[in-house]
Amino acid sequence: MEFEPKILGIACNWCTYTGADLAGTTRLSYPQNLRVVRVMCSSRINPSFIFRAFQLGADGVLVGGCHPGDCHYNTGNLYARRRLAVTKKILEFAGIEPERFRVEWISASEGNKFAEVVREFTEQVRNLGPQTKFKIEREPMPEKI
Amino acid sequence: MSINFKHIEDKLKTEAKKLLEQGKVSIVLAYGKGYDDHHPMPYVARNAADVGNIVFNEFCTANLARYLVRYPRGTKIAIAVKAADSRAVIQLIQEDKIKRENLVVLGIPVSGMKNSKTGEIIDSKTTCGLYNPVLYDILLGKEVHGKSVISPYDVLAEYEKMDKDARWDFWKKELDKCIRCYACRKACPMCYCDPCFIDQNKPKWGEKSPESHGNLMYHLTRFHHLAGRCIDCGECSRACPVNIPLYLFHKKVAKECEEMFGQVAGMKIEDKPTLVNFRVEDSDKILE
Repeated sequence: MEFEPKILGIACNWCTYTGADLAGTTRLSYPQNLRVVRVMCSSRINPSFIFRAFQLGADGVLVGGCHPGDCHYNTGNLYARRRLAVTKKILEFAGIEPERFRVEWISASEGNKFAEVVREFTEQVRNLGPQTKFKIEREPMPEKI
Repeated sequence: MSINFKHIEDKLKTEAKKLLEQGKVSIVLAYGKGYDDHHPMPYVARNAADVGNIVFNEFCTANLARYLVRYPRGTKIAIAVKAADSRAVIQLIQEDKIKRENLVVLGIPVSGMKNSKTGEIIDSKTTCGLYNPVLYDILLGKEVHGKSVISPYDVLAEYEKMDKDARWDFWKKELDKCIRCYACRKACPMCYCDPCFIDQNKPKWGEKSPESHGNLMYHLTRFHHLAGRCIDCGECSRACPVNIPLYLFHKKVAKECEEMFGQVAGMKIEDKPTLVNFRVEDSDKILE
């Protein structure tokens, strides 16, 4: 069976989430590997969310926010940009493939770009294979007696 | 470039006594006698009679800025700082944890401090490698003009060259040693959160028992929380009972922050810490 990556998408309510909605309403198809979580702003994302997602079995994390300068809260994504850049460097130095983590600026009108990014990122993660370094291996459930 | 530690100790005592007698400060943070000469402890002098207990020798490595945030706001404090410690003081002022006007900074220019565990001389391999305090009111002793310090980031080259899997194996091996005593957190002048994220139960950010995944979560998040704030005193690695080279990761993050945002932690009082600040012209390239 071919490996199907699990990808966590964290999308900003005002741009990327609406962009994803647009991709849906315009009936663009994109891979189903993405699970989207909506946050109010990309600066809402605690870096621990990303580490935790990898621990709980995500193969890739995609963060979407408004274009710099377009933030609903004026400056949120400018803080997020610095913060997530550091997250990426930390993942890289710890020895995780930095390609598993991606930040994209997608506005509410860019349904096409959203579908394109998800397609591309899913392919990228698929090529990297399953993420095993961070993942917590749980013991299988005991069979019912 | 030999340092007269006895001379510094005498000066520290005189200054501390003067400040306490004049009532300019209510406490003096300095070093006191431990169970032997190799293990001096942080010491708080509260009146002029306490001053006799102050010591200073080459094993006084602890970063006293750690204790600044323990006192109520507005307490007048005099603090003895070495080079890296003074950067911690600046960083705490930037973060509005203490006020400059409540502080009397007694700067100690010093080189050739020794690690009390190993007896090795501490240099820019594990610390920022500065000799002279960046911020001080009273300088105890003469500024040290030694040979130029090699870049504190040089030690990283070996690890940056490594293949990512080798680096993962290295960090996994190191972090698996962690026994979760939180000595790194206790020794760090910048770790003042109450409660720390790892002590929270709702949400529970990571496992609290000393096992691989919880250790990874704790340390990686701690590295992230100290990004752009770590002043590279190396105290976390010296405090660590199982000798995890935490300074390496802190140095790496500090180096990346310096390259990306062009600002070094704890050098100027007017700066804002890098991660609570932004520039519109920050490039998107940093995310690649």
